[in-house]
Amino acid sequence: MRIRIIWTIFRKEIVETLRDRRTLLMMVGLPVLLYPMMIICVSWFQRSQTEKREERASEVAVWGEEAPQIVDWLGGAGKLTLKRWAAAPSQVQAMLRDPAIRPARAVQEPEEALGSSRRTAATEAENPVLAAARAAISEHTVDAVLITWPGLMRSIGDDGLGSITVYYDSVQPDSVLARDRLVETLGRYRATLVQLRERSHSLAPGFAVALDVLQRNVASEQRRGGELLGMLLPFILIVMSLLGGLYPAIDLTAGEKERGTMQTLMCAPVSPQEIIVGKFLTVWAIALITALVNVISLAATLARLLPGTNLHLPLASYLATFGMLVPVTLIISALFLAVAAFARDFKDGQNFLTPVYMVLAMPAVATMLPGVQLTTTTAFLPVVNIALLIKSVMLSEAAPDLVFLALLSSLTYSGLALVLAARVFQQEQVLLGGQQSIVDLLGLRRRAGRTAGPGVAIVSFAIVLVVVFYGSLLLQRAGIVAMVLVTEYAFFLLPTLAIVFWLGYPARETLALRVPPLRALIGSVLVGVSAWTVAAGVLIRLLPPPESLVRALERILLLDGKSPSLWIVWLIVGVTPAICEELFFRGFVLSGLRRLGILPALLVSALLFGLAHSSIYRLLPTAFLGVLFGYAVWRTGSVACGITAHALNNGLMATMVLAPSSFQWLGMGKGPFLPWTPTAFGAGVAIVGLLLIRSVPQFNHARAGSDQETSPVPAG
Amino acid sequence: MHIPACLEHNRRVLRAEHLSKRFGTVQAVSDLSLDVHPGEILGVLGPNGAGKTTTLRMLAGILTPTSGRVSIDGFDLTRNPLHAKRRIGFLSGDTQLYQRLTPREMLAYFGRLYSLDEARLSRRIDELISQLDMREFASRPCATLSSGQKQRANIARAFLHDPDVLILDEPTAALDVITGQFIVESIRRERAAGRAILFSTHIMGEAEYLCDRIVLLHRGRAIDTGALPDLLARSGCANLTDTFLRHVARRETE
Repeated sequence: MRIRIIWTIFRKEIVETLRDRRTLLMMVGLPVLLYPMMIICVSWFQRSQTEKREERASEVAVWGEEAPQIVDWLGGAGKLTLKRWAAAPSQVQAMLRDPAIRPARAVQEPEEALGSSRRTAATEAENPVLAAARAAISEHTVDAVLITWPGLMRSIGDDGLGSITVYYDSVQPDSVLARDRLVETLGRYRATLVQLRERSHSLAPGFAVALDVLQRNVASEQRRGGELLGMLLPFILIVMSLLGGLYPAIDLTAGEKERGTMQTLMCAPVSPQEIIVGKFLTVWAIALITALVNVISLAATLARLLPGTNLHLPLASYLATFGMLVPVTLIISALFLAVAAFARDFKDGQNFLTPVYMVLAMPAVATMLPGVQLTTTTAFLPVVNIALLIKSVMLSEAAPDLVFLALLSSLTYSGLALVLAARVFQQEQVLLGGQQSIVDLLGLRRRAGRTAGPGVAIVSFAIVLVVVFYGSLLLQRAGIVAMVLVTEYAFFLLPTLAIVFWLGYPARETLALRVPPLRALIGSVLVGVSAWTVAAGVLIRLLPPPESLVRALERILLLDGKSPSLWIVWLIVGVTPAICEELFFRGFVLSGLRRLGILPALLVSALLFGLAHSSIYRLLPTAFLGVLFGYAVWRTGSVACGITAHALNNGLMATMVLAPSSFQWLGMGKGPFLPWTPTAFGAGVAIVGLLLIRSVPQFNHARAGSDQETSPVPAG
Repeated sequence: MHIPACLEHNRRVLRAEHLSKRFGTVQAVSDLSLDVHPGEILGVLGPNGAGKTTTLRMLAGILTPTSGRVSIDGFDLTRNPLHAKRRIGFLSGDTQLYQRLTPREMLAYFGRLYSLDEARLSRRIDELISQLDMREFASRPCATLSSGQKQRANIARAFLHDPDVLILDEPTAALDVITGQFIVESIRRERAAGRAILFSTHIMGEAEYLCDRIVLLHRGRAIDTGALPDLLARSGCANLTDTFLRHVARRETE
């Protein structure tokens, strides 16, 4: 791929796109107008409605016993107009004059103190009084109905318990306001009554209250503002970024087909990869600019139009929010391009992309749902994870491990979407408006005799990563033994073997199935028993894992603490992962990446191995082990070296956890890190092991596995 | 009858051998071989659906043949596409332009894709604008141009990088007589400049006037190839239209 050509395509597409009024409107016009308009309109409407409502006196019907003291108290409070027997049917009036009538029992009585002003959620069984009150309120004759039950005044006079019911409609704002005014005024009346009673009985002030429960909000102003913004803004920002990328994606693919310029471009000396990268960068840039304009417009609106409110975030939160939109726009741009390329014309493109747009936008609603938070589960849901991540950034509570997982999964999905887009652009038939089989499109034809290329290796990793993650979530209740075994055999080994045999790759070359030289095997044993010391003594000092993660790992190593015998632990957490993961990472992935050169191949395969452990704290130690295991396999051409070292490493860890005295012996009792002396000793043993491996002749991969796929994204 | 001098040297700039193209169950082109020499115009004639556009797209590197090979100046179009495509200028009658770019911007864009250096590109664009009488509209957005103006801009794009081979797929389709004639004369000039030209049309008069040799295509196969007098002699007809119709009728009854 030539950068100069990609730049030429990108520059032309950007110029052309920026001359399109629709894109400009979506990219700049809408965000610049949307937020100020939205906030001005909503706050103006809300303020004018509230002011109008506050100014107006609530009209309340008073039904039941004459209660002049209460009526006078309510009337004196202001903003309450009381109407005796207003809208009360004669049958109800007769009922309420009957001294024997009592308030209806609540269907669901909340567990709150008698007399509490919060006794508002109760509903009661249908009865004539309720029906009459409902009719009076819903016909807007009055805002609320107050019932003074027979015997009320006598009970109050006798220092007893009198009952009043307030009927209101929670759906009508005027009725809710009337309820609030009544409850507040009656609450004050009640407090006065209690004080009088305490005084008349010579009781200490507060005798009848007994306990004054004070509520104080610990959330800072910023968090309270962040909660509101965190509910709404991720959805709006994601939807707006989607809109920004929508039109350019259609215009650059289906639009170009419709104009017939696609074939002109295809006969120019440019590769399909250069075309897709140029176009992808354009759509991504437009989506990113849209996201940036949205974030800036939003920040400016909140700062300028709502000064003095708590809806403010520090600059770092806005920057982080924009940063979070980068992986979302990556997925969107790649997916939009891949799908739009199938459309024959612009209209067709709109039809194709509208469902994709809906599917991508709807998950962002998650931030508005109460209780939905960024967890290890939601961190792997595309788009949802970023929406929740933005929310947690606004609440200043983003946990590093979850941020890592959300970004890792988003980049994985982006990678898959990009590979799909690249494959679509390699299909000349699709680009010229024709049909293409899904098998050809996804490159699933057999490639007998050839080994996999880097594209297949990375795509396979991304798929396996997603399968492992969701699969292990499903297995959470099955217990650790089942989870480890199914994850390793079904989610690592089975896909590896399926890909190799289905696509017809030579198993021996692809999976490095050879007997290693004895010296290299001994070297691998030394690496297996010692390499962990460098991880435990040096690498975890750079990013110490939290206690919860250490405990979770120990639980896995101990198979959930069920005191299994040592050989079972070795079999399940030592040998099983060693076989399954080594065949995938050091077999399939490493052989696929070999075309990049040995150093990049080793580093990338080790990085992928680290990423597969789904924790930022484990990334460095596992990637380090991955480099060592990878070197052993590359040098010898035998995956057995990787399996040996991996099994010993895991088994040794489990043995040490089973025998905690070993930690004391190694001097780890005082802290989480391995002291420097055993670290240095372990590093020395590992170096001896590596030198032994290095002493065997280099395995000739070129001769053994000729005819690798030449394209990073394999041709069909 | 124009006889290209280069034929004597027998240098073939464009060579297609046993080309076939299959779309699913449809065999669009079968075992087609042809050569074009420098300074020669080879006409590709055939009814609708004969495989003309598919053939020309394969020769231009837009479609990959199912089997067979194409070489341009000795460069294999499948194995060495970038080198081969640098030597091809492709023009189709239905090709539109980038609506929001001006012809000048579009030419600069393609010039950079063909890796022309900026100074040479600028000179070449000015030269083509003058040669194809495009001054009036060279700086207007392509969306505002008439069909004739668009086709001139398209010709400029196809000629921009001085290609050795021109592949022209019905370049005069849907154009008025004056613009059509202008394009025909432009093609003759390019032949005189020594370019190898592959030209598909269904206007028999154009083919008779322009083509040194003609390939008659039917259902994806070449049913006759040769210079116009040879075709007429073999068919016993007085003109190309009758020759064409006779061939097609004979094939339809087979």
